[in-house]
Formats: sequence, C-alpha cells, structure tokens
Amino acid sequence: MRARSTVSVLLAVLPFLAACGAKAAGPGPRIYVALDEQFSRPLLDRFAQELGVALDQRHDTEGNKTVGFVSAIREEAGSPRCTVFWNNELAHTVHLAKLGLLEPYDSPAGRDLPSKWRDEEHRWYGFAARARVLIVNTKLLPDPKDWPTTYRDLLDPKWKGRCAIAAPLTGTTMTHFTALWRKLGDEEFGRFLEGLFANEVRLLGSNGATMKAVRDGEIPWAFTDTDDYHVAKTNGHSVACVFPDQQDGGIGTMLIPNSVALVKGGPDPEGGRRLIDKILARQTEAMLAAAEGAQIPLRAGVPGPQDPSVKPVGSFRQMDWDVEWTAENLTTFNQKFSRRFGK
Amino acid sequence: MTSTSRALTVRWPLWLALAFLATFAALPLAVLAAQTVLGPDGFTFEAWRALLHDENLGRQAGATLQLGVAATAISLLLGGGHAWLTVGRDLPGASLLAPLGIAPLVLPPIFVAMGFSELMPASGFWPCAFLLGVAHAPFVAVLAARGLRATDGRAYESALLLRGRGRAETWLLRTIAPELLAGCLLAFLFTVADHGVPEFLTVKGKAWHTYAEGIMSRWARRAVGTTFAELQSPIVAALPFLAALGCLLWAALKLRADAPDRGVARPLPLRPLGGWRWPALLLPFAYLTAGVGVPVVVLARWALGSAQKREPMSLQYLQQSFAKAMDQCAVHLGNSVALAAGTALLVLLLAVPLARRSGRSSPRLELASALPIAAPAILLGIGLVRAFHDSWLRALGNDFYSGFGFAACGYVARFLPFAALTLTGQVRRLPVAAEEAGALVARSPVVRAFRLHLQPLAPAAWTAWVMVFVLALRELDLAVILPAANATAVRRLANAVHYQHEDWSGVIALMLLSIAIVVPMLPSLIAGRRLASLS
Repeated sequence: MRARSTVSVLLAVLPFLAACGAKAAGPGPRIYVALDEQFSRPLLDRFAQELGVALDQRHDTEGNKTVGFVSAIREEAGSPRCTVFWNNELAHTVHLAKLGLLEPYDSPAGRDLPSKWRDEEHRWYGFAARARVLIVNTKLLPDPKDWPTTYRDLLDPKWKGRCAIAAPLTGTTMTHFTALWRKLGDEEFGRFLEGLFANEVRLLGSNGATMKAVRDGEIPWAFTDTDDYHVAKTNGHSVACVFPDQQDGGIGTMLIPNSVALVKGGPDPEGGRRLIDKILARQTEAMLAAAEGAQIPLRAGVPGPQDPSVKPVGSFRQMDWDVEWTAENLTTFNQKFSRRFGK
Repeated sequence: MTSTSRALTVRWPLWLALAFLATFAALPLAVLAAQTVLGPDGFTFEAWRALLHDENLGRQAGATLQLGVAATAISLLLGGGHAWLTVGRDLPGASLLAPLGIAPLVLPPIFVAMGFSELMPASGFWPCAFLLGVAHAPFVAVLAARGLRATDGRAYESALLLRGRGRAETWLLRTIAPELLAGCLLAFLFTVADHGVPEFLTVKGKAWHTYAEGIMSRWARRAVGTTFAELQSPIVAALPFLAALGCLLWAALKLRADAPDRGVARPLPLRPLGGWRWPALLLPFAYLTAGVGVPVVVLARWALGSAQKREPMSLQYLQQSFAKAMDQCAVHLGNSVALAAGTALLVLLLAVPLARRSGRSSPRLELASALPIAAPAILLGIGLVRAFHDSWLRALGNDFYSGFGFAACGYVARFLPFAALTLTGQVRRLPVAAEEAGALVARSPVVRAFRLHLQPLAPAAWTAWVMVFVLALRELDLAVILPAANATAVRRLANAVHYQHEDWSGVIALMLLSIAIVVPMLPSLIAGRRLASLS
C-alpha cells in the first residue's frame, strides 16, 4: 500500500518537477534584450549556434520597454540572473553603470566605435543607432512644404490635436525628453511640456503606436524612431520621414544607439564576453542596418540602410546630448514629470 | 502510527493543496501587505494621508469602478440576454446559438480590443467598457443558461397558469438571480482587474488610466525613480478592497453552487417570443458578432495581409504569414499550450482533494480556495515576484523563479478556485452512502480514491480542466509579470502589434483560438455528444 502511495505521489508531482526544471538556469549566459524580438532573436540564435553556448534569451515587452529590465537588473543585484544586457537605447545602460551594476569588459570588437558611444571604463558600448524622427502621412500632407521640421512644431496651434508623441515614461522617448530637459533648461522645458498639453498633442503608449496613428491616417504626423518609420514604409504605406531641427541654429536630430553591457556577477561571464564580441562586431551593425529595422551604423565603412530616407551618420545635424547627465537624471525626470502623464 | 501521522498520510493530497495555496496565493499577498508596514521604508500614516490626497490614484480608482459597473451592465445585457433568449425559447436556431454563449470566452480580451481598434477609435470610456463587457459576458451567459436549465419546468408552468406570462417570466428571472449575480460579479471582477485591454487602449491614445494600469506602470518603473511609497500605495489601497471583493465573490459563488439542486424533474417549456421571434435574433447575433466575429475577421484579414499596402490580400500572403508565424512564434505557441495544459493538470490534482473536503465537511475551505480569484492577476503577479525572486531555491542551484515551474505555480494559484468550486458543487451532488460503504472495505485510500471517489467526478473534472486550460491559454496579465510566462503567445502577440507584425500575429492568434476551441470540443466530437454540454 505504501509503495502504491509513493508511486501516486511521484506521479502527481512529476509534471510539476519537470516544469520546474524545464527552464532552470543552464550552463550558458542569459541575455536581457530590449530590442524588438523579431530583429534580435534570429541574430542571437545565430550567435549562440556559432559560439556553441546555450543562450537563455529574455525579451522585454514594448510597454515596459527598457525600464522593465533595468528594474530587474537593479533588483537582482544581490544575486544576478542576467549576464548580458542588450538595451535598445543608451541612457538606462549608463545609469546601471553609474550604480556599479556593470562589469568592465574591453571588447576587441568595440574598439573602433566612436569614443562618444563607448565608456572609457569599458562598462558599456553603443552601436547601431536609431534616430528620433518625424513620420509624416504623405496622403494627408502631400506637399513637403507643409511638413513639420522641428520638435517645436508639436506646439504649433496649426497642429492642435493632430500630432502625437509617445508618453515619455519608458524607452527612447524618456531618454529623448530627459536629454531635451538638459538642452532646454528647467524653465523652457517646463513651458514645452505645458505646451504639449495645451496643444492637445496625443500622448500614445509607444513609438510603434505613434507610427501606426500616422500610417493609418488618424493624424498627419508624429515623433517616432527610424525603425518604426522604416517598417511602415517597407510595408507600402504612404509615409515619409523628416530628420527634425536641421535648420541653422537647430538643435539637430537625436541619435540613440543600442547598447550592450556585461552585468556584474551574472552567470557564465566568459560566455557573456564572447557574446558581446559577437554583438559588437561590424557585421552585426551591417545586419541590423539591412534588417527591417534599418538601424544606423555608428562606424564609418559599415554599410548603412538601403533606404536613402534613413540617413547615415554624418549626413545630418546630430543633436549633441549629454549622455552622462541624461543617465544620471532619468530617475529625477521620472519623479518630477511622470505624474503629469497620469500614471 | 499515531493518529496525526495517519491523518497526514491519508490526507496528503489535501495538505499538499493547502500548502500550495498558502505558498503561492496567500504568501505573495501577505508579503505585499507585510512590506507596507515592515522595514525601513514601511508605509507610514503620512503615506496613508498622502494616499488619500493622491489625485492620480483617486482618478484611477474612480475610473476603474465606473468601468467595472458599465462593463458589467453590458455583460449582463449581452450575456444574460443571450441566455434568456436562447435557452428554452422558440428563437430560430436557439439550439445552435445557446451553446455559443461561451464562445467569446476563448478569445483573450486583448484580441477583442485589437479587432475593434482596427474598426473605430476605441480610446474613450464607453468603447473600453464595451470591449470589456463583451469579453466577460460569457461568465453571465454561461451561468444564466445554467440557471435556466436547472429550473423546474413544472414550477414555471404553475406560475404561468396562476399569474400569466409576464409574472411567470418575472418569477423565472428571480429564480436565476443567484446565477446572474455570480456571473455579474465574475464579470465585474475580471473587468476591474484587467490590465491588458486598458493598457492596449492607452497605447492607442486613451488618456485616462485604470487602477491596474497605475499599479503596473509604477511597478515597471520601480527602479527608475518610483519611490517605495509611490509603488506601494496603490497596492495598500487595493488590499482591503480585495478582501471585500473576495467575500462578495464567495457569497455569489456559493449561491451559484447551491442553486442547481432545485430538483429538475422537467426542463422549462418552450417559451414563445411571439412577434419578437425574429427581431430577438439581433441580440445573440450582436453578441457573437462583437465577441467572436469582429475579432476573428480582423485577425484573418491581418493574416491575409490587410495591414500592409505592398500587395493585395491573398492566400499566397497567408502562406507567407504562416511561415513567418512559425519562424517567430512557434516556440511561444508551444509554451502557451504546454503551460496551459500543465496548469490545468496541476489545478485538477490540487482541486480534487480541496473539493472533496470542502464539499463534505469543511465549507470554510471553499472560501479559502475561492479567495484567490479576487486578487487581480497583476497584484498576484507582483506579490509572487516579491516573495520569490530571491528565493532560497537559488542557493540550491535551481533558478525556480525564472522557470516555467514558477509560472505554472502562479497560473495554478490564479485558476485553482475555478476548478475547486466546480468540483465542490459536484461533490455535494454525489451520494455519501457509497463513499461510506467504500470506507468500510479494507482497501487503500489511493485505490478508493481512483475507483470510488474520482470516477463520479470525471465530467466535472473535464469541465474544470477545460475552463482552466482556456483561461490559462488567454492569460495576459500574469504573463507580462512572471519571467518564463513572458515567452507565451498571448504576451508575444500583445507586444507584436506595436511593431506592425499584424500578418504573423493574425496567424498565431487564430491558431491559439483554434486550440482553445478544438481541445474542449474533443470529447464531444469523439463521442458525438451535443455541444450544449460545453456550456
């Protein structure tokens, strides 16, 4: 009878135990990826195969973009679960470096990146960037003379209730607004924010949503990232892209690279280092440029996106933004302004 | 063997179930509650005062309650109306329409939202209430239909003869009130707890936010400037509300569980709709169109290529979409099915002993097993993360927290009440005499369990398995929070539509729906039983 009971117990808990072990931390590194899973997963699968490691990939949700993993890495600091963090923007990675959560790694593959986009202490590297651009519906605005040209057009009464930006609570828009805060100063930035509400600018949940609102003709234009714009264009929609603030004296278009970093104390750091080398390779930048997301290579000589409307580095006026200051002030920005956006 | 050790040996399944509930339902919520008062950042009276004056939270709570009431009213109208018009009525096609009352349940609410947002701007209050009302109307439809089927036709005929048609209908409505109330409470509960649909509509431009959105938003940004008090305050405020909701829910479910035994000697007579016979078709038609037709058509159009403008929609494009779907999301689909099936199996293993105990001798146990329903998935998920993300299991080398085992435990904690309550009702209907006779036979408890106790529970167990399987398959809120569940199809789909991946998202969504429909229908299809048994 006891034997039967024991067998029954085992039968009952067997599926449970199997499930527990199904995804237990394996021997390979674990990567947290904030870049769109459609673009990053095939690359990472390939890298894992080339390196011969069991790579455990975790992909973020769009709504939590970036901040979900940043929160997780901070919480896991005592007992890290992540080896490599591939962020789809830069400031939050620098923020983690400042908190001492990243391990320096002098990757040979990252040495030819522009010095502005890599850490002197080798804690993070920026690569394959997106530009913060204006996406325009060319059916609603067929004449380029009517197109917006600067971020200040968000405040133009001509566009009241007819333009959009993602709520700056996560992702690249949060980085963009924090950098803009630095650029404009407290007073002017405050006026800018109030102007957004006064002009009834639509605050949507993501850059994908702003792109869709324009693509589907709900509004004539919006702020988005080049990857979102490019996918809409590739899918045959009537959209164009404006690199804003290119006029004399304009602040320029913001370029936000992906970033990659080794997390301090994560599993299989050696595997993580080899993975970082793969991610930072020139070939990866080229593949990301050729993919639907049309990421802009930061290194000279790496083939850029084929679409000429996604301009290469050097062919447009770049916004000079203070990466370190932005990273240091992300939390202050959140504390100071997030309530203004109702959450 | 002492009496205590004997009790432990004989009742180990019950103790296992109780331990599970304590670990994965009570502990996470207790941790959330405890963290509000313990530790250096403990929630102080000043924080409570600040909470009372927090305009954002006030607005979110107000909007959530209004949304809950409005969506529940819509669920009652559509779901209750569907059952009222299709069960025991002379509505054309009633026998086919009646079992379809449950159909919208197989669609994740976010699919309904995706469908409608393609057709019209859905960021206002009423569109949001409508979407949630439609998505949760099956709770009302199924329970109301069950109430109508359980009503004694002779009593209705007596009322009809004595008081006339109008009063007989009023009597019938009063008779099924417990089921309607239970259905409405479930719809209300699922609406106020839903994070996925409001968040999806916020992405689309909704400018007001619900409580679940507020909690999730603060949680997601917890490491980038959200203070402990800010993060904790909505959770603190939610706990008493949850307790009240849990009690209400238990009362309603108890009413529902007790209701069916009304001595059904004869089903309701066919009640004529008179001149309304054909016009009345509009309501079930509108309900099923909104709950199933629109989302499925939109998803199918996506799969055919409606979201891109390079080429017209075609079957060739569908093939491409299918290939992309397999490339991008086959793993996630497999994860979803495995997680849902595993969850449903575990739920059954735990629910049977709970139901047997609560159905026979411990009615309070029913309350304990029902309460987790009242905890919104977002809150339960945050509690699970807080309680387990630094678990001691890591020291043993097993990263339980990151694996599917942990995700399954979270899902089981969320859906165990549904199975436990279903099975408890069934246990109550079984005669005690056979079990008592069985206890006198010198056979092991395991043998008795399999041969005597479990067999009569099989139909209810299948119902419970199906219900949990479908609910787990469509679960989004826990999937967003629990690490391994991030890699499920619904979570991937909720994410993918941000990126213009409508083509393969449509394919995966339709495959998910097919699985949710075909699996529950398998026994009916194999045995050739009527589909009415599903509802």
